[in-house]
Amino acid sequence: CAGEENWVDSRTIYVGHREPPPGTEAYIPQRFPDNRIVSSKYTFWNFIPKNLFEQFRRIANFYFLIIFLVQLIIDTPTSPVTSGLPLLFVITVTAIKQGYEDWLRHKADNAMNQCPVHFIQHGKLVRKQSRKLRVGDIVMVKEDETFPCDLIFLSSSRGDGTCFVTTASLDGESSHKTYYAVQDTKAFHNEQEIDALHATIECEQPQPDLYKFVGRINVYHDRNEPTARPLGSENLLLRGATLKNTEKIFGVAIYTGMETKMALNYQAKSQKRSAVEKSMNAFLIVYLCILISKALINTVLKYVWQSEPFRDEPWYNQKTEPERKRNLFLRAFTDFLAFMVLFNYIIPVSMYVTVEMQKFLGSYFLTWDEEMFDEDTGEGPLVNTSDLNEELGQIEYVFTDKTGTLTENNMEFVECCIEGHVYVPHVICNGQIIHDCTGIDMIDSSPGGSGKEREELFFRALCLCHTVQVKDDDSVDGLKKSQLSRRSCIYISSSPDEVALVEGIQRLGYTYLRLKDNFMEILNRENNLEKFELLEVLSFDSVRRRMSVIVKSSTGDIFLFCKGADSSIFPRVKEGKIDQVRSRVERNAVEGLRTLCVAYKKLTTEEYNKAQKLLQNAKLALQDREKKLAEVYEKIERDFILLGATAVEDRLQEKAADTIEALQKAGIKVWVLTGDKMETAAATCYACKLFRRNTQILELTTKKIEEQSLHDVLFDLSKTVLRHNGSLTRDTFSGLSTDMQDYGLIIDGAALSLIMKPRQDGSSGNYRELFLEICRNCSAVLCCRMAPLQKAQIVKLIKLSKEHPITLAIGDGANDVSMILEAHVGIGIIGKEGRQAARNSDYAIPKFKHLKKMLLVHGHFYYVRISELVQYFFYKNVCFIFPQFLYQFFCGFSQQTLYDTAYLTLYNISFTSLPILLFGLMEQHVSADTLKREPSLYR
Amino acid sequence: MAVNYSAKEEADGHPSGGVGVPGGAAVGGGGAGKTRKPDNTAFKQQRLPAWQPILTAGTVLPAFFIIGLIFIPIGIGIFVTSNNIREYEIDYTGTDPSSPCFKCLNVSWDSTPPCTCTINFTLEHSFESNVFMYYGLSNFYQNHRRYVKSRDDSQLNGDNSSLLNPSKECEPYRTNEDKPIAPCGAIANSMFNDTLELYRIDNDTRIPITLIKKGIAWWTDKNVKFRNPTGDGNNLTALFQGTTKPVNWPKPVYMLDSEPDNNGFINEDFIVWMRTAALPTFRKLYRLIERKDNMQPTLQAGKYSLDIAYNYPVHSFDGRKRMILSTISWMGGKNPFLGIAYITVGSICFFLGVVLLIIHHKYGNRNTSADIPN
Repeated sequence: CAGEENWVDSRTIYVGHREPPPGTEAYIPQRFPDNRIVSSKYTFWNFIPKNLFEQFRRIANFYFLIIFLVQLIIDTPTSPVTSGLPLLFVITVTAIKQGYEDWLRHKADNAMNQCPVHFIQHGKLVRKQSRKLRVGDIVMVKEDETFPCDLIFLSSSRGDGTCFVTTASLDGESSHKTYYAVQDTKAFHNEQEIDALHATIECEQPQPDLYKFVGRINVYHDRNEPTARPLGSENLLLRGATLKNTEKIFGVAIYTGMETKMALNYQAKSQKRSAVEKSMNAFLIVYLCILISKALINTVLKYVWQSEPFRDEPWYNQKTEPERKRNLFLRAFTDFLAFMVLFNYIIPVSMYVTVEMQKFLGSYFLTWDEEMFDEDTGEGPLVNTSDLNEELGQIEYVFTDKTGTLTENNMEFVECCIEGHVYVPHVICNGQIIHDCTGIDMIDSSPGGSGKEREELFFRALCLCHTVQVKDDDSVDGLKKSQLSRRSCIYISSSPDEVALVEGIQRLGYTYLRLKDNFMEILNRENNLEKFELLEVLSFDSVRRRMSVIVKSSTGDIFLFCKGADSSIFPRVKEGKIDQVRSRVERNAVEGLRTLCVAYKKLTTEEYNKAQKLLQNAKLALQDREKKLAEVYEKIERDFILLGATAVEDRLQEKAADTIEALQKAGIKVWVLTGDKMETAAATCYACKLFRRNTQILELTTKKIEEQSLHDVLFDLSKTVLRHNGSLTRDTFSGLSTDMQDYGLIIDGAALSLIMKPRQDGSSGNYRELFLEICRNCSAVLCCRMAPLQKAQIVKLIKLSKEHPITLAIGDGANDVSMILEAHVGIGIIGKEGRQAARNSDYAIPKFKHLKKMLLVHGHFYYVRISELVQYFFYKNVCFIFPQFLYQFFCGFSQQTLYDTAYLTLYNISFTSLPILLFGLMEQHVSADTLKREPSLYR
Repeated sequence: MAVNYSAKEEADGHPSGGVGVPGGAAVGGGGAGKTRKPDNTAFKQQRLPAWQPILTAGTVLPAFFIIGLIFIPIGIGIFVTSNNIREYEIDYTGTDPSSPCFKCLNVSWDSTPPCTCTINFTLEHSFESNVFMYYGLSNFYQNHRRYVKSRDDSQLNGDNSSLLNPSKECEPYRTNEDKPIAPCGAIANSMFNDTLELYRIDNDTRIPITLIKKGIAWWTDKNVKFRNPTGDGNNLTALFQGTTKPVNWPKPVYMLDSEPDNNGFINEDFIVWMRTAALPTFRKLYRLIERKDNMQPTLQAGKYSLDIAYNYPVHSFDGRKRMILSTISWMGGKNPFLGIAYITVGSICFFLGVVLLIIHHKYGNRNTSADIPN
């Protein structure tokens, strides 16, 4: 029945635990967990059994447990102590490590669960421990405090019902974000008022996505019908975020304890396993086979040898009566087990511990590296998992993001183009760049009357169509200050492009002042204050690749301004000088600039009302809100009039070209995966020497596929590449391969999805194979117009190709997370676009240039060290056990040990594991400088 | 060997003591916290001094020659020393029908009187220094696991409760007719019990040679590991009251010897036997022959005869019994292997050195830049 389904998908919360007026809806009691955060894995009581269980799930540990039990049961050559002690040692060391980590977690949990929280009970402020907080409680949070649970923002001390929050500890973005109180409750400023609130909240069950929330609040005024309001993520204050710039806020708890979004996000990622670990397991299997065959051989030989009675039982060495009577097969089986026990030391018991210690301790060398420390940001490299250290030394493919990784993501406004007229924000005179806010250099002829109007509209559009906040240093005379000196205000935004645009427009004479009571204030060129009422924000998302605002000017006109990527704007434009703008946009893109197009349309009041209604409906939807919103946006954002385009420069990161060159010399194939336009991305690739002047560019783009069929294009390309390849092999034979032709491939997202799409007849692998074949022969590949998921798809395609190359993905933004998680090694850049990439990565580095040292030096060292370590472990155990095997021929296959018990025990756990551990930490077979100088050593 | 010393001085502009930042900045940084800048120490930056041998012709060739030149003389020295050791070995099993001991081949444990035989032999060279007399057994698996563990060490250490209640490991030699066996176990039960006597034949007169039976066991065994049971008085017969002799023994353990400090568990022949051999062919020290005066060799060249009281059956398991006379040197008994090994390795090194030298001389100038620069 529908009611139950509803109950499953959403929850109803009674604010302040007041039941709604009777007759509204059936009272469905729901139980919510308390606000206790439990990040620890074990409790005091279950630590030993649970930890032991987890440890014995590891195949090696389980094997030794079995051996130990066999020793306990049957009569074996060595006492159970010899294998029990190392096992105990290994188990204890691991248990201590895990126990310590868990104890730290317990401590952190306790500190968090016991910190005091203010909340309101019967109109009074009460202090309680955080863990006693329950869903529905009204909480008060003061400035600089963190929120104790996920709250719906009811009211704040600020008059406009906003508050500022930093989510630094959640996603690393230190910028202040604005949250909005629920309209109907923002007037409640003290405890009594807020306690009188009578409302229920319906919202979805907790979800881990930090940026998504849908809900509805019903506020009951006296006996009237409740007023319903939509709740979105802008009303939801997340646990872990910190209140800033706001004296205090009131909120109602909706998700508590383990159901908060923060807690849901801390669930462990799927474990990546390194190739060395996999081969280690393969080795273990081989060794197990050796062990079993040794035991079998010895058992068989024993019975052959004993077939003569004087050997089996000479007069000086009689058997006991029960022994004589025992069944032959049982005896043979016991002998087999005894041989297994005798030779079991061939499996290195302490290898896992030593390898783990080596990796853990070795990863410190990475974080300690001074050359990888970035002075500007004060950040060094971070190691999130040390399991993959050695993978850094075997990378064959590097997938890199462009924006923020290869480039600085430090945007600078370069120019704008209004209907084909180009405006540059600074006048170049006598080779000097003078920053002049009023100086506009017009390259083309001065625009006419209608042009003038369009120009002003363009600047206003840029001033209004954004989500930038103004940071007011001093809230009292902030307005005055910014009026006096225009440049004093600091813009904050989650997108650096927007800041660059707003700052650039400021230099062109239009200053965005602030958003106050839903009115956006801008200062125009004549220093007049213009006020626009902000009606709606159609916020940016990566699918639409555009954002819009609907504003009402002081004269009452309603405008919809939209800005976005050219590909998403041009199809929606119905008039404007599209061709001029398009050519300018393409020219800018070739120069490696980021371009955005700006368009507008004028709305009549009816149109606006219709749009507003649609939006309101979509926003109130509890299910599929995203989808419904997208549909509505699609309806509203059409029939634009094109205004112009902007160009923002994103400079290359320092030494990006040098790094890429070194990686290519090291035999690593570098692929650039970006969401940018083909021209922009290609320009960046040229700039960072991924493509050189003599690189022959192969294009596999939508345009080309439109001309020919995909099939033909692919075959043509592969022919070109393979012909070259054939000549290459001849060249290498004759030793003339110095000036070999290299190929660069450019592919875009649409073409890729065509290739990846399984064909009707089921022979889907065909195109992929062909595509892979082409890629393999290209020195560099550029994939542009990639959706985040496509990036991951590409990585997966290469990862699963038949050579099983080791892949590395590096990126800085949330859009790179999927590929970072997909690749063997994921590296996050601790960058400007938040810390999401760094949080999800295996390693995080401050700058792209650090990748060079990380791979060429540290990766190389780690790989050489771990491989020698693992090989030594197997070698030494063969050395140890082979004499034992031979000795059986001299002691009548009686399972007599060659070594002393103590030696057997200590050999594995200390004599031969500690020295090699030191070696595995320190070994440098070639100096770090040489490795850096000669990237070819990496191969 | 080329030694590449790549310890780097802190010459790259960083003062070696410059760790972190001055304290003021770290403490006073409002909200910024202390910097995470790593320390510039040799350890953390992986710049610890290190060296690494680089193999080049210039280092490998001399190394080969030096090894060769050192090893060959050492090998010769050891080989000569080993050769100077006098050793004489007689197999007295009597498998050969012509052997005087053939009649005793199928002897059993309890034959009384014991089967005796005499073997005459001639020493070609005289034995100058102290002579050690061994008995050797072949094809006797003293290292069989069932055999090795068939003993009770605490009983042998004089523990009174173990004396009367020996360990289970001793089965099936633990009890006999409901009495605990002392010493229990297969090892003790199968103790070697041939008696060997040596005579020098000088003009048809047999002059007995004094065989010393003490000082043949390890000091730790004799004084630490093996002890007689303790109790009132020193009468071993009383102390071993309630136990029975091992099945194969003709006499109980307290009647092994007349001297009280070589009787019971601390009888040295017994202790020597109890230290099990690692391989199926082994020798064990039986007696010592000390040099009497400096003028005469211990055993001069000439005719000798060995009297054997043949009690120990080995034919059933295809075994062999030997008597060995040997002198020792600073490096132990006769062991030509070590010297030969030294000489072989030395010669191979020298030979390789010569071969590589020729190769290097002929082709060495072609490619000298192949070394990895360091």
